[in-house]
Amino acid sequence: MNQDILFEEENLQCSSENSYGIRAKVIGVGGAGISLVDGLRFDNFDSVDNLVIDVDMKAVSESLASEKFCFSKRHTRGMGTGGDIALGKRLAEEEKDKIRKQLDGVDLVFLLAGLGGGVGGGVAPVVARLAREHGALVFAFAPLPFSWEKSRHSQAEDCLSELRKYANAVVPLPNDSLLQIGGEDATALECFAEAGRNVSRGISAICNLVFKRGMIDVDFSYLRKVFSARAGRTLFGYGKGNGKDALRESLRDLMLCPMLHMPDVSKAADVLLIFIQGGTSLSMSGLQAVSKEIRDSFKAGEEVVFGAHVDENLGDEVKITVLGATALEPLIKSADVAPVAQQVMELASPPKQSHRSKLENQKNKSQNVKPGANSKSSNKQSKLEQNTFSFMEEKNQRGIFDDLTQRNMYEGEDLDVPAYLRRGVKIAL
Amino acid sequence: MSKIIGAVEIGTSFAKVLIGELSEDKSLNIVGKSFRKNEGLRKGEIIDFRKTASSVHAAIDEAEKMSGTTVDSIYLAQTGSHLRGALLKGSANVASPDGRVTPADLKRAAEEAKRKQPAMGRSYVHHVSMPIQLDGRPVDDPVGMRGQNVELAFWSIDGDESAIRMNLDIAHQYSLEVDDLILSSIASATLVAGPDLRRAGVLVVDIGAGVTDIALYRGGNIAFTGVIPVGGDHLTGDLAMGLRVLEPYAEELKLEYGKAQSDPSDSEQDLWIIGNKTIGDRTISRKAIADIIHVRTVELFEIISKELGELLNPNDLGSGVLLTGGASRLPGIEQLGAKVLGVPVSKANFPSGLGNDLSQAENSTVLGLLHYGLEDHRLPGEKYTNEDAGFFRKVGTFLGI
Repeated sequence: MNQDILFEEENLQCSSENSYGIRAKVIGVGGAGISLVDGLRFDNFDSVDNLVIDVDMKAVSESLASEKFCFSKRHTRGMGTGGDIALGKRLAEEEKDKIRKQLDGVDLVFLLAGLGGGVGGGVAPVVARLAREHGALVFAFAPLPFSWEKSRHSQAEDCLSELRKYANAVVPLPNDSLLQIGGEDATALECFAEAGRNVSRGISAICNLVFKRGMIDVDFSYLRKVFSARAGRTLFGYGKGNGKDALRESLRDLMLCPMLHMPDVSKAADVLLIFIQGGTSLSMSGLQAVSKEIRDSFKAGEEVVFGAHVDENLGDEVKITVLGATALEPLIKSADVAPVAQQVMELASPPKQSHRSKLENQKNKSQNVKPGANSKSSNKQSKLEQNTFSFMEEKNQRGIFDDLTQRNMYEGEDLDVPAYLRRGVKIAL
Repeated sequence: MSKIIGAVEIGTSFAKVLIGELSEDKSLNIVGKSFRKNEGLRKGEIIDFRKTASSVHAAIDEAEKMSGTTVDSIYLAQTGSHLRGALLKGSANVASPDGRVTPADLKRAAEEAKRKQPAMGRSYVHHVSMPIQLDGRPVDDPVGMRGQNVELAFWSIDGDESAIRMNLDIAHQYSLEVDDLILSSIASATLVAGPDLRRAGVLVVDIGAGVTDIALYRGGNIAFTGVIPVGGDHLTGDLAMGLRVLEPYAEELKLEYGKAQSDPSDSEQDLWIIGNKTIGDRTISRKAIADIIHVRTVELFEIISKELGELLNPNDLGSGVLLTGGASRLPGIEQLGAKVLGVPVSKANFPSGLGNDLSQAENSTVLGLLHYGLEDHRLPGEKYTNEDAGFFRKVGTFLGI
C-alpha cells in the first residue's frame, strides 16, 4: 500500500538512478561541525553529499568531506574567527552567493554546527536561512558548549534561537549532557564519539526513510509537509533491543534514552518521525502497537511520519529512532521568519493548533496516523499496552521548570537546569 | 479584650493560613489553621493568579470556619527572587548647641538614608534598622548623649512592584487588610532564632519548595537577607530528569529515599520506582538518587556562601547556621552544609508548645508571621512607632491601601 501513496504524490520528480531524485547534503559548519561530518558513519547514499564550511583553511583541507568551502581568507588570513560570532555572521552574509551555489538543487539539508564557535554560531543560521529560501528541508544538529563556559554558553543560546527561526528542526546537543550519554566508565572522548554516533543515527534514519525502500515507507514530500515551517523545541531519541521481545525492549530503551531527558528537550511533539529497523521477524502488529505507544508517549497529534525497514543483517535486533518537534514557541515566532517560512507553508496544510491547547482535547482526537500505521488490529493491542509507560506520560510531561521564557540565571548559569548536568556529574542508573 | 491575628503565607507548594487569638496577657492561641495545595506558583512567584487566589481564599475560609471568627487583617509573607537587599546609610550633624543628640537629628539622618528611591517598577518592602553609630561608636539609643555626628543605616529590601501588588491583591480580594508585609526569611528567623541566638549571630536558611530564604543576624541585628531561587522542587526536577521518571514519582523517591550524601552501601541498594509491579516499572540504585541530590545541595550552599561573602564569618556566627523549611528534612543536609559553609550547621528547633502537627520545618514562615504579630502587634490604642514597618506607608500609599 505504501507504493500507492508514493505514486499518488504529483510533485515527485522521479529520476531513474537514485530513488526519487531527491538530493540531500550534510553540511558541517565550523570546527565542531566538520568533525561531526568526518565522524559520520552510515551506509553510503549516492545522493547524499558532504560539504564542510569554515574560515579555517587547515581545518577544511584536512576534512574527509567530498565538498569543501573555505571563505574569506582576506578577513581572517585563513585562520579562525576566534569565537567572534558577529564576524562569522558578517562573513557568511558577504559570501551569500557562493553558499547559495552550494545549495542548488538540494532538497534536504543536515546542518551540523557547534554553536559555541564563531563560525558555527555565526554562519550556521545564515546557511539555514539560505537553504530554506531554496526550499530545502533543514534539520540541524547543534552541539552546545558546557554551562561553565559561561559567556560562550549564553552566546550559543542566542545562536540556537536564531537557528531555530530557520531550520525545520534543531536538535541541540549540549555538552553538559554528553557525559550522561556514554557508558558508565566512558571517558570524555568516548562521550563525544557517542554523540557523533547519535548524529549519524539521526541522519541515517531520515536518509533511510527517504532513499530506501522498506516495509513501511515515507516519501519526501510527506516528510516535508509534516516538518514544514516548524522550528520549536525538538526531541530526538533512539533505542534498541535484542532477542524475542526485541521490539518491546527497544521501546523501553528508547524511553530511557538520555537524549530525551535533557532540559531543553520537548516532552511532547506536534510533529513526530518514528523510524523502526529490524530483522525479518519484524511483525506488522508489533510495529503498530509500538508506534501507538510512542505516539501516545509524546502526545503526538496527526502529523506523524512512520517508517519501518527490514534489514536482514540485523537478525533479532530492533532499532527505533524518533525525531519530533513542537510548534513554534511564541517568542521565536518573530516577523522575520515569515518570508522564509511562507514558501514552504504553501505546501503545508493549514496551521494546526499548537501543542498546549491540543493537550486538553487530545483524547477525543481521532487516532488516525500516517498511512500504513492505521489498521483494525491496533485497537485490540492498545488495551493491553496502554499502561505500560503510564508512569512516563502523565499530565506533568512538560516538567516543573519547562518554561523557556523564564530562565533562572545566576552568574551565567541557569539554575533550573539540573545541577548534575551542569557540574558534569555522571549519574549511573 | 482579645485580638485576632491572621497569618498568610502564599508558598510554592501550599497556601497556609493560621489564625491566632492574642489575649490581653499577650499569650497566643492558634484557633484556626488551613493548608491548601497551591499550584499557581513557581519559585515563590505567582504565575497563575486565579489558581493562587482560589487556594488562598479557600484556605482563609476554612481557617475562619475552624476558628469560629473572622479576620479583618493579616500578616502576609513575601518572598521571590525579585527581592533585593541593600545597605542604605545616612548621617546628620548634631544640631543642638549643647552637642546633645535629639530625635530631630536622627530623623534627618534617617531621611538621608531613605532618600535613595528604588528603581522604576520597584518598591521598598522593608527598611530594617541597623545599629546607630554616634561618632563612629555603635550605641543603642544616642538621644541625650553628646556627640557631633549620628549615623544611621538600614538594610533595605525592595522588590518588583507588580509581584508585591499581586500578593497584596489576593488579600484585598478577600476584603482583608494587610497589617504588615513580612519577608519570609525574617518571619522564619524570628521564629526559630530567639533573641539570644540572634545576638550571638546566626544565619537562618529556610529551604522551601520553590526558593531558599536566608537571613543573617549579627550582634542581634539583621545584616543580610536574600532569596535564592532554588528549593526542594529543584531536587525533584533534577531527580525526574536524572532518573527519567515523572515528577510525582521523583517527589516520592526524594521524600522516601533522598539524602544529601550517598553511603557506600547505596550502590547495592536497588529501588523500584513505583513498587506495585506495574508493567514498565524498573529499578534504580539508591546511589543515583543521593548523587543527584548531593550535587544540587552542594551548589545551593555554594550560592549561599557566595551571596554572603565576607559576612559568612564563623566568628560572627556564634549560633551557627540554622536550617528550616521543608527541604531541610533531607537526611545529612547539616553535615553537608557545614562542610561547604565552614560554619556549624544544625536543624532549627521550634519553640515548645506548638503541637506536633504544626512544629514542622516547612511551617516556620507562617508560624513566624504569627510570632511577629505577637511581638509587634499593636493592641487597640497602642502607639504605632515601629521603624521596621515604616515601609508600609510607602507601599501602602503607592498601592492605594
